[in-house]
Amino acid sequence: MSEPQKPREEQGPGAPRVGVDEWVATHEQRRQRAGGVWARLGEAWHRLPPWAQLAVVVVPAAFFPFTTESDYLIRVGINALLFALLALGLNIVVGYAGLLDLGYVAFWGFGAYAYAMLSSAKFDLHLPTVVSLPIVIAASALLGLLLGLPSRRLLGDYLAIVTLFFAQIFITFTTNGNRLNLPWRDTPVDLTGGPNGIPGVDAFDLFGWEATTTTSYFYISLVTFALVLSGLHFLNRSRTGRAWRALREDPLAAEAMTIPVNRLKLLAFMFGAATAGLTGSIFAAVQIGVFPQNFELPLLITLYAMVILGGAGSLPGVVIGAVTITVLLEILRSPDDARLILYAVILLGLVGWLRPWRSLAAVVAGTVVFGFAVHALASAVWPRGVERTAIGGEGALGWAIEHWVLLPTQPGTLANVGFVALVAAILALTQMPRTWRLVALVPTLYLAAFVWENKLVFQPSVTRLLLLGALLVALMNLRPQGLLGTARVEIV
Amino acid sequence: MEARRPLLELRGVSLAFGGLTVLNGLDLHVDEGEIVSVIGPNGAGKTTLFNVVTGIYRPDEGDILLDGESIVGLEPHRIAQKGVARTFQTLRLFLNMSVKENVMAAAYGGTKATVFESILRLPRARREEREVEALAEEKLSFFGQRLVGYRWDQPAYSLSYANRRRLEIARAMATQPRILLLDEPAAGMNPAETHEITELIGKLREDGGYTILVIEHDMHVVEGISDRVVALDHGEKIAEGSFDAVATDPRVVEAYLGRREATTK
Amino acid sequence: MVEVPLAVNSDFLLLQLVNGLTLGSVYALIALGYSMVYGILKLLNFAHGDVYMMGAFMGYGVLVAFGGPAAPTIPIVLLLTLMFLAAMLGSGLLGVTIERFAYRRLRNAPRIAPLITALGVSFFLQSTALLLFGPRFRSYATFEFLSGGVQVAGIRVAYTRILVIVSAFLLMLALTFLVNRTKLGKAMRAVSYDREAAAMMGIDVDRVIVATFFIGSILAGAAGVMFGLVFFSVFHLMGFTAGLKGFTAAVVGGIGHIPGAMLGGLLIGLAEAFSAGYVSSTFQDLIVFSILVAVMLFRPTGLLGKADIRKV
Repeated sequence: MSEPQKPREEQGPGAPRVGVDEWVATHEQRRQRAGGVWARLGEAWHRLPPWAQLAVVVVPAAFFPFTTESDYLIRVGINALLFALLALGLNIVVGYAGLLDLGYVAFWGFGAYAYAMLSSAKFDLHLPTVVSLPIVIAASALLGLLLGLPSRRLLGDYLAIVTLFFAQIFITFTTNGNRLNLPWRDTPVDLTGGPNGIPGVDAFDLFGWEATTTTSYFYISLVTFALVLSGLHFLNRSRTGRAWRALREDPLAAEAMTIPVNRLKLLAFMFGAATAGLTGSIFAAVQIGVFPQNFELPLLITLYAMVILGGAGSLPGVVIGAVTITVLLEILRSPDDARLILYAVILLGLVGWLRPWRSLAAVVAGTVVFGFAVHALASAVWPRGVERTAIGGEGALGWAIEHWVLLPTQPGTLANVGFVALVAAILALTQMPRTWRLVALVPTLYLAAFVWENKLVFQPSVTRLLLLGALLVALMNLRPQGLLGTARVEIV
Repeated sequence: MEARRPLLELRGVSLAFGGLTVLNGLDLHVDEGEIVSVIGPNGAGKTTLFNVVTGIYRPDEGDILLDGESIVGLEPHRIAQKGVARTFQTLRLFLNMSVKENVMAAAYGGTKATVFESILRLPRARREEREVEALAEEKLSFFGQRLVGYRWDQPAYSLSYANRRRLEIARAMATQPRILLLDEPAAGMNPAETHEITELIGKLREDGGYTILVIEHDMHVVEGISDRVVALDHGEKIAEGSFDAVATDPRVVEAYLGRREATTK
Repeated sequence: MVEVPLAVNSDFLLLQLVNGLTLGSVYALIALGYSMVYGILKLLNFAHGDVYMMGAFMGYGVLVAFGGPAAPTIPIVLLLTLMFLAAMLGSGLLGVTIERFAYRRLRNAPRIAPLITALGVSFFLQSTALLLFGPRFRSYATFEFLSGGVQVAGIRVAYTRILVIVSAFLLMLALTFLVNRTKLGKAMRAVSYDREAAAMMGIDVDRVIVATFFIGSILAGAAGVMFGLVFFSVFHLMGFTAGLKGFTAAVVGGIGHIPGAMLGGLLIGLAEAFSAGYVSSTFQDLIVFSILVAVMLFRPTGLLGKADIRKV
């Protein structure tokens, strides 16, 4: 919501009459003035025609493969694009229609498996991509329809649980699908390859042109992304897009305004499923195989974080969220980079939140001094507590960490206690009056560093889930519109 | 010539929630081009009447005919497409959509472009899009200076209360209705705005050609607009006729003010 | 699977019945928490299954702290009581904390906001458990006396199972009493009918919601310990499937409806036990899922639920 501004005092003969809200006319300008540079950038962005907006995103991306020799980086690029595609699809369901689809990962997996079955040695079908892809997309949409139908009457809430259950069953099915007992067959049937998945998926074959290199898949993903993005852009501005947004705002009013709410919800759900299926096909070809563990539930929270971070319902927001989170998660794999990111994020967070500068300086200085003091004290009375060297601790940061954070040998239990204490401390911080919060922030920050260096750094995959979970909770509570979205007004 | 049949007709409509009877054998008709007001104390079943007509509730008994055709059991959006549009007492705008989009969204039922046509921007989709936009601007212009120009691209939540009421009416008009159901259009408005609404309802009929069924508490508005007034109490019709006749009907007075002698009911 | 025609084997049938009752008791307790919270907040608390998981770990913690299953340092009855108390209290506090910090601000937000938050909480709890306890399965193992059992019509029913079934029954009885006979229960019912009206009538809605989360989580904690006692395996993902089953149970019985949740829990437990016994343990989830879909298609209000009246 915009700042609660009162209309100016009426002046002069042209003063607004009763019921005429002149100040509304200046709504945008006021909002812009309040937002500073970012708002002005946003304004400039909105003035661009749609094709120019698309070009701003796609053209630089198209040059990406020329800037690097590294296959790994291009793969990260493909990942980012595929995640962006998935997030766009999920955004239709969550952001437009306001439905909670917790089986989204399974649709992705379904698309991947379906493509793998149609175009591989598995059943010796080897269909060319131009044939199998439409089949996969249609099948995914159909599956979406079938899954959405039972929860028709109570769509919102029950859909969440039906889809979550479906995701669970999908994993069970793919993992055990190599020995299915069918009543009319004597021997078990192998449908999914079980835990070993389906290896040797065909490369994309588009009218005789085969995609063989990583770079070619990058461009396939990029083109698909651009097509889906522009399709969604047009859809968003069409009667269907308006109807989706209307039913998210108020389903009952939408229904009374000739909009078939249930049918449109199912449609959104099918569109999400189809997008996921399409992305799954590309994924299967890029990976040259599909395996059950590719589609496990933790991915779901990654996707939700992407959609929510940028701002559900906004196409650029979703894309930015997807790219940001893909890159961040990639960085989290290396302890050194992850550490750098962590401290940078904490510092940026402090700079962003803490005002005036005096408090910021006090907290930062306090934390530094506090750390060295604790460290000095520990070296005097508890030598075990400072014995270990930091993981990947090279350079100045590594040195600083080793002389600042307690690094006990065998940190096991202590780190666990520290973790629980950290969670409790952060929760407590949110409840404190301001002055106390500043004071309590110092040991909390130190505790965070302690937990990171002694616990989280050893388990990057758990840490990412933990952080994503916390991110979702924090975002929904503090900034449900995401980083880029404008706040929605719910009840006035 | 066949006898003029009413545009909207309710025959013996009853509805109960659990044991509570909300509508009891209600007969009501609205003729083409007529403005009928429904009055009655709180809880008399007025809004429920609207909900039954628009298909949000299904009546337990009785029939509802639109131009001679039964609409009972149809989904609300089907009924809206057949030409019954409404506003809400509590204002249910699509607050985070722009003023123009609010009106354009209501044109859904009048358009046919499929999703694929929309995605590919095929001719029909583009043409309908232009038509819908023109329709929205036309409906918004109906309110004179109130909802024009710069306001079109403002989010609906930035509108004043009175303008939100106007926008709801514009949105209902965009469904191309034959009959408009207005639920307390003057609620929460100041005297000047109330006066304006009274004129507007007249204008809706004269210029817009709509048949109107309106729930209203403000007796000045009711007096100013109604061809006919229907008074409800406890889900039953207790009086019907001209404003003067209904306003002085002892049962209506009783419903509003209570009986003179101590009631035992 | 065994090859003999099982349908005629009454011992096997009885075994599955006991299995189903045990499992059903656990599901019923979980379903109650889901159902109560849904009844009051209209919120699907996805994190509920993970509260149950945390409860199981808390019970395990107490067990280990007092010497472990092989050589308990205090009398077994006392140990059991302590395990239950710790898990129930700990889960209760966890539930209240979640309500306070994750959901309270979102009470008037659009429906999807608390749902996404619940998803976040669920993953947060799962990864917390993974971080603190590791990916290993923890086994409650059996106590000396609990590994015994009684003979019932040809099969041996372990004491643990009897303990689980009886204590689940007692807990449900206590809950029914609480909801129907106490002032708090009355307030809970009032809040679930109409939160605003209840607030205007002087009911402290915040307190009622906190109490609901507390009670629901207590039951989940107890269910966690019970599951550990009977099925031995405690691990960080146990809450996910159990949560799904618990929710299904709540829907089958009629969500927001307390006896419904109990009935639904027992039905789902029995269905699962029988499908594991007679069809295939791999696809028992599929069967429960089919039940969920069938109920949604043919009786979306659940077996005991009533249709809501939409207010406009």
